[in-house]
Amino acid sequence: MLVLQSIVLGLLLGGLYALLAAGLTLYFGIMRVVMIAHSAFLILAAYLAWWMHDRFGLDPLLSMVVTVPLFFAAGVALQRLLLTRLRPATLTMMSVLLTFAIALGVEGLLGYAFTGTQRRIQLGYGSASLELFGARIAVVKLIAFVLAAVALTSLYVLMKRTRFGWALRATIQHRDAARLLGIDTERVAGYGFGIGLATAAIGGTALSLDTTIYPSLHWHWIGPLMAIIVVGGLGSVPGAAAAAMVLGMAQSLLQIPMGTTWAQTVFYVALFATLAFRPQGFFGGRLAQRF
Amino acid sequence: MASEVEFELVDVVAGYGRAAPVLRGFGVAVPAGSIVCLVGPNGAGKSTVLKVAGGLLKPRSGRVLVAGREVTGAGPQQMLAHGVSLVLQGHSVFREMTVEENVLLGAYTLRDSRRIASRVAFVKEVFPVVADRWGSLAGLLSGGQQKQVEFARSLMVDPKVVLLDEPSMGLDPKATSTVFEQVVRMRDAGTAVLLVEQNARRALETADLGCVLDLGRVHISGPARQLLADPQLGELYLGGRPAEPVPDI
Repeated sequence: MLVLQSIVLGLLLGGLYALLAAGLTLYFGIMRVVMIAHSAFLILAAYLAWWMHDRFGLDPLLSMVVTVPLFFAAGVALQRLLLTRLRPATLTMMSVLLTFAIALGVEGLLGYAFTGTQRRIQLGYGSASLELFGARIAVVKLIAFVLAAVALTSLYVLMKRTRFGWALRATIQHRDAARLLGIDTERVAGYGFGIGLATAAIGGTALSLDTTIYPSLHWHWIGPLMAIIVVGGLGSVPGAAAAAMVLGMAQSLLQIPMGTTWAQTVFYVALFATLAFRPQGFFGGRLAQRF
Repeated sequence: MASEVEFELVDVVAGYGRAAPVLRGFGVAVPAGSIVCLVGPNGAGKSTVLKVAGGLLKPRSGRVLVAGREVTGAGPQQMLAHGVSLVLQGHSVFREMTVEENVLLGAYTLRDSRRIASRVAFVKEVFPVVADRWGSLAGLLSGGQQKQVEFARSLMVDPKVVLLDEPSMGLDPKATSTVFEQVVRMRDAGTAVLLVEQNARRALETADLGCVLDLGRVHISGPARQLLADPQLGELYLGGRPAEPVPDI
């Protein structure tokens, strides 16, 4: 019974990991940027959801009406104003420093605006749960999963079915060739970044539903997320999603014998195993060789 | 062969940054329905010619003409709109997209779906490989097949002239032959071709006109067969005397 419960919880958690890892993969694919600040924006979105709920009584899900466009714009601005100024030769290394600084900046601003106090949204449906094959699932966790699944599916459809998605994938795979076909690769790359950051807004909303948040929480997320995109094969969105589900499940199951703290180590074990035995990742993706 | 000139570079001076110019008064004309081949030693400026022609590098002086219209200084997008399509050297297919997606992306700047459909039918006819492998991932194709996908992609906009940068680079002799056959098919289908090649002898055998480039200027130009027959050129630029008699094309 406990195992079943853990499997279901692992699936739900994996969905959120998958969405966030998709954003990170997108950044890396577009311009070989390692975006340390991704999870800082995740926590920022969660704070905005909490704040709008606390101040105006808005349902956290409604906060996305504001945060998603806002984060999209911030992502475009980040790419166009900061990242394109880095020298191409050292872009990947320097992007670590730059986004690390941004993460610290976001964390500092959150501490300044909302203090370091732990926050949690109290929802009317916060304690509701339903029985699923004998496992008790909190409704908020289910909502978070559905949110992540819908966002991930939309991202997939966007990439596979739309003119913009094709242009973005072409830009990722061969920028010069894309430019020669008349694709405005600079603009497309900027929008790609915006979409990546918008996934953090959606993820943050999902997170805010049932998690206690504090400004430095993002450090707990970035490690597992980075491990996921490496295990998934840097640059591969389906790979990242698969790795996210597997590792999320593993974390959830290992919590039974090992407890929550030690269960986290599964990400780092998987990371070391990947780097040692299969550096190109376990789920496709050939970009790692160029990293 | 029609004598109308589809594409022309006149007195082009071009280079990178503040360094001395690579092209120093270079000119070439590509008549409609013909293959013009640029040959020359490494560092002669062959790739720079294509960068200027494709709009990737603005010339410091000189003129770029498409069908008699001056388009000097146009960027890659505008050159495409004027009817000049560039195929890069090396592999430039979108590896993790299907052949279909690659070819349709060639029509990125087109909106008319009927026209796109007719271009798809056209490139499938010119390049049977593209039709055969329509649904496969482009990265899984052999080097020669990928080159044909790139050709097909560049023909989607129905260009007046296609610029090919070292199409045989990295290909084995058999694939090289196929690629040159496809270049001829492109010309026969009505597209003028400006070709840059390391494999000078093979390229001149395919081309109608040849142009030998050295130190940023035209060393000599004329009908390709005439250049091939010139013993001095053979010595200097084509890697010694021909091993076999030049075939009649």
